[in-house]
Amino acid sequence: MWCMLERVKPPRFRYCEARSVDEALALLAEHGDDAKLLAGGQSLIPMLNLRVARPAVLIDVNRIAELQTVETNGALRIGALVRQRRAERSEPVRAGAPLLGQALRFVGHPAIRTRGTIGGSAAHADPAAEIPCVLSALDAEFELRGGAGARVVGASEFFVTTLTTALAPTELLAAIRIPAPSARARSAFLEIARRHGDFAIAAVAVSVELAEGGAIERARICFANLADVPYRAHAAEKALRGARIDDERAVREAAEAAVGDASPASDLHASARDRLDLAKVLLRRALGAIAAGGSA
Amino acid sequence: MSAAQPSDAKRLVTLTVNGLERSGVAEPRTLLVDFLRHELGLTGTHVGCEHGVCGACTVRMDGEPIRACIVLAVQAQGASIETIEGLADGEALHPIQQAFREAHGLQCGFCTPGMVLAVQSLLEENADPSEQEIREYLSGNVCRCTGYVGIVAAVQRAARKLAGAE
Amino acid sequence: MPDRPEITGTLLQKPQYVGTRILRTEDPRFLTGRARYTDDVRLPGMLEAAFLRSPHAHARIASIDVSAAQALPGVHGVFTGRDLAAVLAPFVSTVAGRGGVRPLTQHAIPFDKARHVGDPVAVVVADSRYLAEDACDAIAVEWEALPAVVDPEAALAPGAPLVHDDVPDNNFAHIEFASGDVERRFAEADRVFSKRFHHGRLSPAPLETRAVVADFDRSTGAVTIWTSSQTPHLVRSLLVPVLGIPESRIRVIADAVGGGFGLKCQVFKEEAVIPALSKLVGRPVKWIEDRREHLAASVHAKEVISYLDIACTREGRFLAFRARYVGVNGAYQAHPWTALVDPMTTAAALPNLYDVRDVAYQIDCPYTNRCMTGAYRGVGRTPGTTARESLIDDIARELAIDPVELRLRNCIGDAPSVSATGARYDGGTYRACIEKARAACDYDGFRARQAAARAAGRHLGIGFSPYVEPTAWGSDMAKVQGYVASEIFDAAQVTVEPDGSVSVSAGLHNHGQGLETTLAQVAADTLGVRIEDVRVSMGDTAVAPYGFGTHSSRAAVIGGGTVMRAGTEVRRKMARIVGHLLEVSPEDVEFRDGAAQVRGVPGKRMTIAEIAAVAYFGGARRPPDMEPALTSTRSFDPHEVWPNGCVVAAVEVDVETGGVRIEKLWSVEDCGVLINPMIVEGQTAGALAQAVGGALLEELAYDENGQLLAGTLVDYLYPSSTEVPPMEFLHVETPSPVTEGGMKGMGEGGLSVTGAAIVNAVADALAPFGITITRTPLSPTTILALLREARERRAAPTAA
Ligand SMILES: Cc1cc2nc3c(=O)[nH]c(=O)nc-3n(C[C@H](O)[C@H](O)[C@H](O)COP(=O)(O)OP(=O)(O)OC[C@H]3O[C@@H](n4cnc5c(N)ncnc54)[C@H](O)[C@@H]3O)c2cc1C
Ligand code: FES
Ligand code: FES
Repeated sequence: MWCMLERVKPPRFRYCEARSVDEALALLAEHGDDAKLLAGGQSLIPMLNLRVARPAVLIDVNRIAELQTVETNGALRIGALVRQRRAERSEPVRAGAPLLGQALRFVGHPAIRTRGTIGGSAAHADPAAEIPCVLSALDAEFELRGGAGARVVGASEFFVTTLTTALAPTELLAAIRIPAPSARARSAFLEIARRHGDFAIAAVAVSVELAEGGAIERARICFANLADVPYRAHAAEKALRGARIDDERAVREAAEAAVGDASPASDLHASARDRLDLAKVLLRRALGAIAAGGSA
Repeated sequence: MSAAQPSDAKRLVTLTVNGLERSGVAEPRTLLVDFLRHELGLTGTHVGCEHGVCGACTVRMDGEPIRACIVLAVQAQGASIETIEGLADGEALHPIQQAFREAHGLQCGFCTPGMVLAVQSLLEENADPSEQEIREYLSGNVCRCTGYVGIVAAVQRAARKLAGAE
Repeated sequence: MPDRPEITGTLLQKPQYVGTRILRTEDPRFLTGRARYTDDVRLPGMLEAAFLRSPHAHARIASIDVSAAQALPGVHGVFTGRDLAAVLAPFVSTVAGRGGVRPLTQHAIPFDKARHVGDPVAVVVADSRYLAEDACDAIAVEWEALPAVVDPEAALAPGAPLVHDDVPDNNFAHIEFASGDVERRFAEADRVFSKRFHHGRLSPAPLETRAVVADFDRSTGAVTIWTSSQTPHLVRSLLVPVLGIPESRIRVIADAVGGGFGLKCQVFKEEAVIPALSKLVGRPVKWIEDRREHLAASVHAKEVISYLDIACTREGRFLAFRARYVGVNGAYQAHPWTALVDPMTTAAALPNLYDVRDVAYQIDCPYTNRCMTGAYRGVGRTPGTTARESLIDDIARELAIDPVELRLRNCIGDAPSVSATGARYDGGTYRACIEKARAACDYDGFRARQAAARAAGRHLGIGFSPYVEPTAWGSDMAKVQGYVASEIFDAAQVTVEPDGSVSVSAGLHNHGQGLETTLAQVAADTLGVRIEDVRVSMGDTAVAPYGFGTHSSRAAVIGGGTVMRAGTEVRRKMARIVGHLLEVSPEDVEFRDGAAQVRGVPGKRMTIAEIAAVAYFGGARRPPDMEPALTSTRSFDPHEVWPNGCVVAAVEVDVETGGVRIEKLWSVEDCGVLINPMIVEGQTAGALAQAVGGALLEELAYDENGQLLAGTLVDYLYPSSTEVPPMEFLHVETPSPVTEGGMKGMGEGGLSVTGAAIVNAVADALAPFGITITRTPLSPTTILALLREARERRAAPTAA
């Protein structure tokens, strides 16, 4: 993952704290490509320490209060700077996006989540990360702000490729909006990692809306680490529509269809082939867990 | 107020450490753990990886556990930091420290300061954790010596002590 | 070395402390952040060093330009291999007295070419580590890439690229051994079973990396070196020829050390470079190894490819063992034990506790373009045991004999005996430990549970791995392990101070083993004083008597022995003083709780403080021929000591995900007299956890170009609290007849054999699939691949 150089202290950079979004945007406008925003720092600072990231300017956004709010107004709106640990404990987040609550437990460890932010994880766009996977499954929308104004993009547009998003160098992610869940929605998040807290070898986020009697009206399924962006399993979503969630055969067929054209990477921890196989297993198990009523 | 200008100049960082106000000089790139250890002389906090994975550098910032190797010293300006040096009350060990001793929760001692502070946060959040909860909470703090047997036992013992049951 | 006179150990009489779970006396300073590790040392004017290391596995250094780095503010010097060669002699590594070994001369920093990723090419001294790294960034190296040799067996093949131009076949050593008539046994056997087992490459990875601070004093020509070492005296002695400084002017201090696990019982080139830098720049210099250097450029361990054949009867009686071991070294030799520390000790342990008289082995130890290999807790035994025990389970399945039964059938008897490889076992409870383990894990109950689970589509498995293992490395043990010409011992000094308090100083080192407590227990019982009155210190060559440090499960046995011997002399002297003053026979004086008591005469009593006052300042009150003071320094070099035990692992394998969950581990151990059961269990727990890592998680994988794939802790996976299972510890206590105190030494067995138990448990769980395990670690990917192959194998005949 990181190239072999023996460095553990950050290279020199210029630093300042932005006290408002406008100030941050002004700084970004001025330093653009040379600058990086510093949110929780839980991905960025390790990369600085190893000197695989060498930004000339670091703009610390941690003290911008307006990025730290959680609001529910129909949809759930999570400020980009909301810490993962806070989101995990937040009643509005748990109610407005149960899947996010389920997934956060798998993100690193408590002492990482106390600093790491929801928006930072999204902006970092690691294909193995849980939060982007969940946000994609939930059809979240991303509020971007730049000098030229604000724009809102959907998940499929936001995540471009590994460690790359639709954010321009002069833009910042301000908040994430998650549509209110239907009262009939049930969800599950499952992952396989080498150890608890590690990035996923493969993970699945599933949210289904069930009709009376258990037929699936709508399924939303997204995998982590199956592609260079969170991988929405549209084929499986379609295959499941109308099927009963406890119909093992339908579930099995949907799982087979799920990985479609995904072409995951091979690395030290799993081969591409394993990832495809694991994804199918995860989806079956996640649906099984929902059917068994294990997860809400 | 005009926007702050980025600079790489050294600056004075003032913060509260274990209840006392302390200041020291840091470059923007100085890691909090280096600042605590080398600028403030608090060498009880250890460094095992400097890329955020091992947990040896765990301290508490504004009451929450963090990894001091992936936080900049300048970010701790004005914060309240707790390190292992602040836990005992004079010569009397804190109940968590006592429990670590009684349950043989340490061997070489290198992970111990970070581990103890993580346990402090765990028990503040959950006064009576199950073994599984203990293992999950501490899974980011590596111990190479104990196999976690003594550590898990120490947390259970500390929980009883703090509840006044021991 | 000629045979030494027999040693017969003595046991402590009516011990008050030995055998009890005394809490560790050293704990408070670790719990409060007061312990002083090497990185905590701060000296006036101290500078910091950083190494520039090779990104290539094998590349010629065409040129190095350090001028830009040198010009940076805050940089005090940039030194290449050539610069250092002017002030440092090379290390020469070999195994003295052993045929078939080609000594290697190695410079502190190479200057012709880099031989592995992480090989140093230059070192910077600057005001801070931050600046030193900036300077490393500014060094321009022109590389000419060379073909790398990564596969050890390819390295041995003719025409392979050479790691060292003067080692024509890349082989450090070729060793052969045979006893009995192995070939005939194989020819006669009903069945012959064979296996190639490739054990994974591991790092001891103590949580504290290596660290050195050196302060060379130009005015005296003396140097003080703080280093994170298990063996301070060894560092001192081995640096003498390299630094060219007399031993009396080198002081080595290893205060708190954050774990060693064998890694820090080696003497590293960096331990010579940092003192040299201090001399060159005239100021103290600190180097703290970072984790990536540690993973890429300290030592790796335990990667051995074993080819093992077992000849046996239809009934499962083992007739002969034949093995070939390829120790997968990297580019250099870990000093002084060399890369043979794995394959040579693997081979020495081949018959282990099996009653087999016909044994033959061969060893090769090729260089490759990887990090060198060296000692890691349970040296050699881990890979060899995993290979042998997994083949034994294969045999049990093949012959349809219960695997525990098969082991019992072939197990040696309890009496002292000599193995086919020449090991002199001091007697034990070889069968009893296996049986005790079988009872502890409710073997029959597990088998019933397993059958029920299988019917429900779940895959449980259980694995055993019994052992007898070498501990307490002294001269005899070193010899039987292959270090034929080594003399290894330790010394301790026991002093009753003028106020009656007790100081113990030892050449061992305490880095987690609780030695400050256990040696105090032994000292208190030997002298009859209260444990609170004993202070044990270690780790400073200016203070401690000579010793070989703490490794190879030697500290408790040898340390305990030295303290008993020295303490007994001091006690005898005190008894003489008491006898003289109270006019009784010294034989009638007993010591307990810090006082001397004349047996049977309640009023006749003196405190240790009173005796000490006489010993130091009593003048004519002492017996006429007696010198003042109460101190003794004694050494101990025990015969071979062989504790034994058995580990059991119970696992569940998820055949859809390849995930292995260990339900529980059981360890039964007979390490003779237990000084402190709490500490023994702590050591076992740690070793078992490391074995979990080696069996399932940790792997220093290289790609075919010699790039290290696990260069950070994101990829080198320590077992964490969620992966290490609950454990149960059981003890059997058979005093050794050959040590002082009857202790046998322990600490490594868990890592030597638990991997084998886990491998066997996984194989047992997967038995219905007909798979054979031939490598570690058992990552999900490995298990899924095994299952896939098994499926394909089964599908093949029908398809054809
Ligand atoms: C040991 C360890 C284990 C971890 N395990 C996991 C894991 O299992 N799963 C997982 O998902 N993550 C894991 N993480 C990463 C963690 O979740 C990070 O917190 C997260 O990836 C980044 O969030 P951050 O707030 O820390 O962002 P930072 O590190 O501050 O920033 C990351 C990147 O995003 C950019 N950025 C941040 N915020 C914004 C914004 N508002 N607008 C525009 N750009 C922005 C930054 O410029 C930077 O490029 C782990 C981290 C560590 C150290
Ligand atoms: S040193 Fe900070 S997590 Fe390892
Ligand atoms: S006690 Fe040594 S790392 Fe935990």
